[in-house]
Amino acid sequence: MSRFLNFDTLALHAGQVVDPEFGARAAPIYQTTSYVFPDTDTASSIFNLERGGHAYSRITNPTVGVLEQRIAALEGGSAAVCTSSGMAATFCAITAILGQGDHIVASAQMYGGNISLMKNTLPRFGITTSFFDPTDTNACRAAIQDNTKLIYGELIGNPGLDILDLDAIGKIGTDHNIPVMIDATFNTPYLCRCFDYGANMTVHSVTKWMGGHGTAIGGVVVDGGNFDWGATDKYPTITEPYAPFSGINFWEEFGPAAFATRIRAEAMRDIGPSMSPMNAFLLLQGIETLSLRMDKHMSNTMDLLDYLSNHDQVSWVNHPSLASHSSHELAKKYLPKGAGSIVSFGVKGGREAGKAFIENCELASHLANVGDAKTLIIHPATTTHSRIDADALVAAGITEDMVRLSVGLEDVADIKADFENGFRAAKRIAKG
Amino acid sequence: MYFEVNGKRVFATTGGKPFDNNKPTVVFLHGSGFDHTVWNLQSRFFAFRNYSVLALDLPGHTRSEGPPLESIETMADWLHDVFEWLDINNVSLVAHSQGCLVGLELAARYPGRVRSVSFVTSGLETPVNDALLNAARDEPEAAIAMMLGWGFGPAGHLHQGPIPGNSMVSGGRKIMRGNTPDALWTDLNACNNYKNGVAAAGKVSCPTQVIVAGQDRMVPKKATDKLIEHLGSPAVAVIRESGHIVPQEAPDKCRTLLKDFIFENNPTT
Repeated sequence: MSRFLNFDTLALHAGQVVDPEFGARAAPIYQTTSYVFPDTDTASSIFNLERGGHAYSRITNPTVGVLEQRIAALEGGSAAVCTSSGMAATFCAITAILGQGDHIVASAQMYGGNISLMKNTLPRFGITTSFFDPTDTNACRAAIQDNTKLIYGELIGNPGLDILDLDAIGKIGTDHNIPVMIDATFNTPYLCRCFDYGANMTVHSVTKWMGGHGTAIGGVVVDGGNFDWGATDKYPTITEPYAPFSGINFWEEFGPAAFATRIRAEAMRDIGPSMSPMNAFLLLQGIETLSLRMDKHMSNTMDLLDYLSNHDQVSWVNHPSLASHSSHELAKKYLPKGAGSIVSFGVKGGREAGKAFIENCELASHLANVGDAKTLIIHPATTTHSRIDADALVAAGITEDMVRLSVGLEDVADIKADFENGFRAAKRIAKG
Repeated sequence: MYFEVNGKRVFATTGGKPFDNNKPTVVFLHGSGFDHTVWNLQSRFFAFRNYSVLALDLPGHTRSEGPPLESIETMADWLHDVFEWLDINNVSLVAHSQGCLVGLELAARYPGRVRSVSFVTSGLETPVNDALLNAARDEPEAAIAMMLGWGFGPAGHLHQGPIPGNSMVSGGRKIMRGNTPDALWTDLNACNNYKNGVAAAGKVSCPTQVIVAGQDRMVPKKATDKLIEHLGSPAVAVIRESGHIVPQEAPDKCRTLLKDFIFENNPTT
């Protein structure tokens, strides 16, 4: 084997050493808390980061390790750390490099949990955030302060679906020696590998398309290995000695994996949001078919965009693949295989008609998730984004009549037939 | 740590312990296009076993100031200057690939300065094929892909690194991209032009060790056999499953072999 393996091959094989004892082809579920050391020297070497290996499953686990290395391979990152959820990944990634008095510049159009983390929770830790309109790159640059240590955004903004101009944002980061962290949940590495553009690290809720079956909660931080931490003195957690590990200097000793190693050594040990081996196994099963599923998500999405755009009960349709979308050109640049399978649209008749639509769909599930194999629908203003204030709702592009659709893998004719039931009910409401 | 040699800033990691030139020192030298991090699963081990450690970046490689050095002989003299500057004598040199040629030349030119040399995946000379050499000059990204494609064996290409979560191939790419733009071409050209292997090997008087990778696609077996033949009676070990980049791909076996050899030939008190 002397050549790089392609995406679909990596999705099946990367990170797994076939079990040498029994030859298990699937990655075994190592449901264990801890690991027997062969001798004291090996034990101390593992604890002192002199060698790889497992000591305690809060920090590393062999099944989780396969998933981490598979995602690092697919994303083109130098290292990955899996966590118990996507939000845990985001928290661990941010607090690995930011602390009291530091500042984030973040897109205003993100998942409500991300916005709440930055608006409500992180300020209690002394970390503040300025939000910018993701369609206005200059606003990002203007928001940078002397204490800004991170630029954060979602490539496909949730739920307005504006596309972040990664190259432009990356240049701002480079100009200011600030890393760019992208929540890549909606695109997955199949649709866009963010490190090929301006990102320095990514976070994912692997609960969504990566896992793809709605069976396991999980998150991951991927270290792009492409940020020069040594070019500035702003990141002492990476470039200065870390006392709890015998004064280890992550940047000196781990180079392109310094950021991920810091998360492993600190957040996984001191905070401990570890992924369970069972969840890692389920998520690995999902990733094995990532490209097949994403292609089907995309073809169904394109079919439904055509259907919704021409439906007389639909007042508007929003998706970056539509020429009418303000991010259409950016979508073509960064997401040539498709701009994700989230679609938002307005049901004629406003809030009550939208409610009737959702309640009369039987195949599409009304729930607070995205990226399942099954088609999902929800009303963001009263659910996922209900805890953010009115101004933030407007900034996030959410309207009262908006239905968010996560396009699944069913036969698209059945999805349309299901929607027809919803639209008939909505029409009755609209007529009064 | 950073220090200056010949007016240029040089970086070396000391493996997490302060550098102390009174202790036996293990000096790690990387191969073409790489940097000190290729040794991170060996260097820290020795630093915490009462050795002083220097895992160097050659000039023009990631954190050491350029320009890159143009010949193996110049690199050997530069390495000697590092020893002089830091006043270290009791050195076990551990070298990978191109670094082995430097180690060979250093041990021949300055026989009193090294207690032992460990050659990890090396030939006596290392001719470089034209496709790689030309790509390194004209298309650095293509050359990096060739280096990593041929350099790693199955474990590397399957991202089965020994550190949970880490990808050796992706990490290697970031390291190579972090060098000065002409570093890889200058390195490979230096390897290609080095013709003094036979004479140098004949002058090496310290104990030597040769670690061979069973799946090495960068250094042909006959080139390694020639090195072994001309060194006289080195300790030889083969790691069957590893590709060329042994320090990353088979770090535990590599570290154990180095440990046994260095502990015997350059013991700490």
